[in-house]
Amino acid sequence: MRLPFVALTLSLAASPVLAMEDFVLEDEVALCMSCHGDAGVPIEPDYPVIWGQQYFYIYTQLRDYGAGRRQNDIMTPVAAEYDRDQAKLLAEHFAALAWPDIPAEIQDGDEQLAERGITGGQCSACHGKWQGDSRIPRLAGQQVGYLRKTMLDFKNEVRMNAPDKISTMKQLDEETIDALSRYLATIDIQ
Amino acid sequence: MKSGISSIAATVTLCIGAYGASAQEEVAGGTTLYGDLQSVTQSMLTRAAGDGNNFLHTNGNYAQTRYYPASQINTSNVKNLRPAWVFQTEVVDTMETSPIVVNGIMYVTTAFNHVYALDARTGKQIWHHKHSMGPVTTYCCGPNNRGVAVAGDKVFFGTLDAKLVALDAKTGKQLWETQIAEPELGYSETMAPSVVEDMVLIGTNGGEYGIRGFVKAFDTETGEEKWTFHTVPEDSVGVWTTEDATGRNMHRDIEAEKAALAEQGDPYETLGGGVWQNPAVDLETRRLYFVVGNPSPDLDGSLRPGDNLYTDSLVSVDLDTGEYVCHLQYIAHDVWDLDAVSPPIITTVKDASGNDVKGVLHGGKTGHVYVHNADDCSLIRFSEAMVPQEDMWTLPTAEGARMLPGANGGVEWSPMAIDPNHRLSYAINLHQPMTYTVRSTPYPEGKLWLGGSFDVIPDEEQWGNVTAVDYDTGDIAWQVRTEQPMIGGILATAGGLVFTGEGNGLFKAYDSSNGGELWRFQAGAGVNAPPSSYTVEGQQYIVVAAGGNAQLNFKRGNNIIAFTLAD
Ligand code: HEC
Repeated sequence: MRLPFVALTLSLAASPVLAMEDFVLEDEVALCMSCHGDAGVPIEPDYPVIWGQQYFYIYTQLRDYGAGRRQNDIMTPVAAEYDRDQAKLLAEHFAALAWPDIPAEIQDGDEQLAERGITGGQCSACHGKWQGDSRIPRLAGQQVGYLRKTMLDFKNEVRMNAPDKISTMKQLDEETIDALSRYLATIDIQ
Repeated sequence: MKSGISSIAATVTLCIGAYGASAQEEVAGGTTLYGDLQSVTQSMLTRAAGDGNNFLHTNGNYAQTRYYPASQINTSNVKNLRPAWVFQTEVVDTMETSPIVVNGIMYVTTAFNHVYALDARTGKQIWHHKHSMGPVTTYCCGPNNRGVAVAGDKVFFGTLDAKLVALDAKTGKQLWETQIAEPELGYSETMAPSVVEDMVLIGTNGGEYGIRGFVKAFDTETGEEKWTFHTVPEDSVGVWTTEDATGRNMHRDIEAEKAALAEQGDPYETLGGGVWQNPAVDLETRRLYFVVGNPSPDLDGSLRPGDNLYTDSLVSVDLDTGEYVCHLQYIAHDVWDLDAVSPPIITTVKDASGNDVKGVLHGGKTGHVYVHNADDCSLIRFSEAMVPQEDMWTLPTAEGARMLPGANGGVEWSPMAIDPNHRLSYAINLHQPMTYTVRSTPYPEGKLWLGGSFDVIPDEEQWGNVTAVDYDTGDIAWQVRTEQPMIGGILATAGGLVFTGEGNGLFKAYDSSNGGELWRFQAGAGVNAPPSSYTVEGQQYIVVAAGGNAQLNFKRGNNIIAFTLAD
C-alpha cells in the first residue's frame, strides 16, 4: 500500500500547475458561467454542460486541461491558473448545481444505430445508464453539439486524456456518432 | 451417498427446532438456552458444506463448491417451485449479490453499496444500510457488489470507494470502516469478503487502472490490517514462457520484451493483477487458493515485459501469514484480458494416474476448466473447450484482430458449482466474438488503462451455455445452449438440480445429471447473480437477485426473489 501512495505524491509534485494568487471562488465561477451559462445552459451548442456534472470528473478534467493532457485552446489557459485545491472548489461548486433541461431531438433510426454502437463498445460497462458516477461523466441530456465534438475528438486523436476511448471511437463511423449524440442528448434521467 | 443425505436431514430437523426456540426466547430477553442464534460461529462457517438451513458463504462453503446439501426441492417436484416473495431494493441497477442466510435472516447488497437485512421467510425488510460514498469511486464493469460475509454479530462488505466496512448484523449500524487502498489510483471493491477465524479477507479491483493487486487480511474486531499478499511480486519477470498452460504458442516477441525490460525495468508497481472473487479456504493445510486477474494495461504488452507474475494465475498462500506457497500461470504476458476470475473450488479429483487427490478447479475465460493438484498448484488436466476458440493466440493489432473467445470469456467472474457425487463441475459461459485492438499509452495515473479496446462485433451472433464437465477426465458431460451470453453464477443442490439465470430474465432449473430443463421462471429483469438456497421452518427456498447486468447491458431491475414449493 505504501508504494502507490508514493507514486501519487510524485505525480502531484510533477504537475506544472501553480496556485492562482488571490483566488476568489465567486469571480472564477462568474468567468466559467460566461461560457458554460449562468443558468447551466452553455452559450454555444458545442460547449459542454458542467452544472450538475460529476465532481471528480470536473476536477480531473480541469487538472488534465491545466497539465496539457487534454488540449483545448479555450480551456487549457483557463484551467492552467488553478492548483489542486482551487480546482476542487470549482468542481464542488458546479457538481452541486442542478443539471439544466436542454431540448434535443432524436431522428428516425438513431436509436438502432446508437444501440449498435453501445453494444460494440460495451459502453454500459462504465457508463451504466448515462447518469455518471465520480470519474465517469454524466452524458444523459448533455449538449448534442458537444457530445458529437468530443467523440470525434477522440476518434481523430485530438482529445487524448482518455486514450482507450480513442480505440473505441475509431470503431464507430460518423453516422453512428451523430446518432449516439442525439440519442444521449435526449435521455432524461430526472 | 444415502447415509450422507439422512445425516443432513437430521441436521435440518435439529436446527429447525433450535430456530423455533430462538423466536420464543427472544421475546424474553435476547439470548436463548442455545446461545445467541443470530451470531455466526467459526464452527458454523467451517461446517457450512453440510448445513441445509443456512447459506453462510458467498460460494456456499470454504471449498466454494456451491453444492447445497438440502434436497427437499428436487428433480421430481421442482416443477412446483413458485415465488414465495419478492423484495424490491431502492437501487434499480446491475445486481451480482449472493444472498447470505443466517438462521432465517438474509443479507443482500445492491449496486452502489446498499446492504439489506430481510426476513428470509417473508421478504420483510429488517434494516437497510446505505454506504456513505466518498467522492472517488472506480469500476470498469458496472457499480457492482457481490455480497457480504458474516461472522460473529457482524456483516462485512467492500465498497466502490475501496473501503472494508463492518456492520452490526442486528441493526445495520456501522461498527468500523477501513480504507483498503487509494481510490484515486483505481482501487475499488466489488467482491464479497470472506471470513476465517479473526480475519476478513478481501482482494481488489483495478486491473484496468494500473494498480498493484493484492489480497489482504483484516482483523474482524478492529479492521486493522493483519497481512498483505501482493499478487505482483517485485520480480514479476518469470521464465519467459512462450506457451500458455494448455501448450499453445502465444507469439511473444521475447527479444523485444527483454530489450524493453532492460530499458524500462520491472513493471510491477502498475502491473494490475486484481483479485475479483473469494479465495477457497483449506483449513486442513491452512492455505488459501485464489485466482489473479489480468495485467495492466490489458491489451498493451509493450510496457510490461516478462511473464507478469502472478497475473492470470491460480495462487496459493498461507492463511495465517499471506506468504506465497505455489502458483500456476494460465497465460503469461496476457494481451487479451482472458484472465482468471471465477472463484476456485477445492474438491477431490483423479490425478493423471487415476488416484484420488485433493484438487482445485477453476473455470477460465479461455473456456477451459483447469484441474490442479492442490498440493503444488500443478495442472493435472484441462477440459475440452466449453465455447468456440478460434485463432488463439492472435495478437491484438492497431486495426483490431478477431479472436475467440472474446475478452469476457468463456467463464467470466461467474462462480461455478460442482456435484461431488456426479464428479461434475457446472459452468456458465459466454460466446461473444470480439476484435482486440492495441494502442499504447503511458500509465495515466489512476485512469482507465486498457492500452486499446476489445470491441464486440455487432453483426456476429452471441450466445451462452451451461456446461457440465467431468473433472476426472476433462470431458464435457452435457451442454445446454442459451439465447444470450451468460454471466452471474450457478448453484447445484443435493436435489439433483442446478439453478442459473439469463440476461433475458429467465431463471431455470436443470437436471444436474443430464442437463434436462425441469423448470423456468421469467423474472422480468436479467438474472445475472449467483443463486443461494436455505431452509426456514422446514421449508427449503431458492433465492436469486434479478437486477440485470451493466457489463452486458442486460435489462436492469431491483428484485430479490425467493422460491419455494407450492403447497
Ligand atoms: C471562454 C469560454 C469558457 C470558459 C471561460 C470556461 N470554459 Fe470550460 N469549456 C469551454 C469549452 C469550449 C469546453 C470544451 C472543450 C473541449 O472540447 O475540450 C469546455 C470544457 C470544460 C470542461 C470539460 C467538460 C466535459 O464534459 O468534459 C470542464 C469541466 C470545464 N470546461 C469547466 C470550466 C470551469 C470550471 C470554468 C471556469 C473556471 C470554465 N470551464 C471556463 C469553454 C469555456
